[in-house]
Amino acid sequence: MQIRNTRQRWGAAAQLLHWSIAAAVLVMLGLGWWAESLGYSKLKVDLFWVHKSLGMLVLAAMTLRLLWRLTNPAPALPGGLKAWERGAAHVTHYGLYVLLLAMPLSGWVINSAANFPLSVFGWFEVPAIVGPDDDLKSLASDVHGVLAWTIVGVLVLHVAAALKHHFVLRDDVLRRMLPGVRLRGSDGEI
Amino acid sequence: MRRLVTLLLVLWAGVAQASEWSIDHANSRLGFEATQSGARFSGEFQRFEATMRFDPAALDEALFDVTVDVTSFDSNSQDRDSTVAGKDWFWFKRFPEARFVTERFEALGDERYQATGMLTIKGVGRSIELPFRWIIDGNTATMRGDVTLTRTAFNVGEGEWSDGSTVGLQVDVQVRLNLTRVSAGG
Repeated sequence: MQIRNTRQRWGAAAQLLHWSIAAAVLVMLGLGWWAESLGYSKLKVDLFWVHKSLGMLVLAAMTLRLLWRLTNPAPALPGGLKAWERGAAHVTHYGLYVLLLAMPLSGWVINSAANFPLSVFGWFEVPAIVGPDDDLKSLASDVHGVLAWTIVGVLVLHVAAALKHHFVLRDDVLRRMLPGVRLRGSDGEI
Repeated sequence: MRRLVTLLLVLWAGVAQASEWSIDHANSRLGFEATQSGARFSGEFQRFEATMRFDPAALDEALFDVTVDVTSFDSNSQDRDSTVAGKDWFWFKRFPEARFVTERFEALGDERYQATGMLTIKGVGRSIELPFRWIIDGNTATMRGDVTLTRTAFNVGEGEWSDGSTVGLQVDVQVRLNLTRVSAGG
């Protein structure tokens, strides 16, 4: 399997980024809601630390992924899609890129505005991106919450569409994002 | 009566050997630095009052008596500043003040000294040693001292917080004072 994308499928780099970010996003949503539900406690502070640390890694991975995507053409969408389906696919995909960059950025703003230091898993420190500011902190918190729900909504669409392609339309849309899975070739594999 | 007055004057002369200094608060700072989730943060106590009697030539007469308004804890973070007010941390309501009263001084040479005294935070008194530099320039002086405290020795961060994994146990305290001589002593 090659590193770069081909016309037919996602390369190893894109797959690795896709699935590691997918796993991280699920963990992030869970951690975020769990920590948020707790009263002030050591567990809450520790959960948020893991949440913030992982969030910074997601931001780094998403940046890498965006650059990779810009320099690597994506495999073509399967033929036979209606115009609105192609439109919906583009909107959800671009939407996810924007959301998954905006999410960690808004979190970084919250942490910076709260004047909390941040050491990513104790490995290295990241600087604040804004100065201490209570109003900005609450604004960024609201944005972060709205983004979380928006991500959940778009993810539901994204996963539902992938499953529909795989089980109903029986094309290669999901397979080409899976490592080591043979393509069905219904989409004109060379 | 005359003898009593004379006696008092002699006693007064005795205690007044060391100069009295007043702190220029605008250019002084009682700061601290600690660790939170593996990263450093800093802050200061905005309000503190002190009697500062010090003369390198009369260390026996020297005295620092410092009262810190603990509720003036300011780390430029509303979340953290309100958190430390709680019972597990400084418990502002019950212990709004901390105090440091020196018991003795020794000269370490090169304008360095060490004060030993009783530091009371949250009602817990411990003897600590504060090494510092005191540089006199005419009627002004600068004092610079640093001491690392273990917060749990003073019950600051109790219960689950007494394990230092989330908030570090060591707190670096930084004393940076600019002072003006009030009385020359003698």
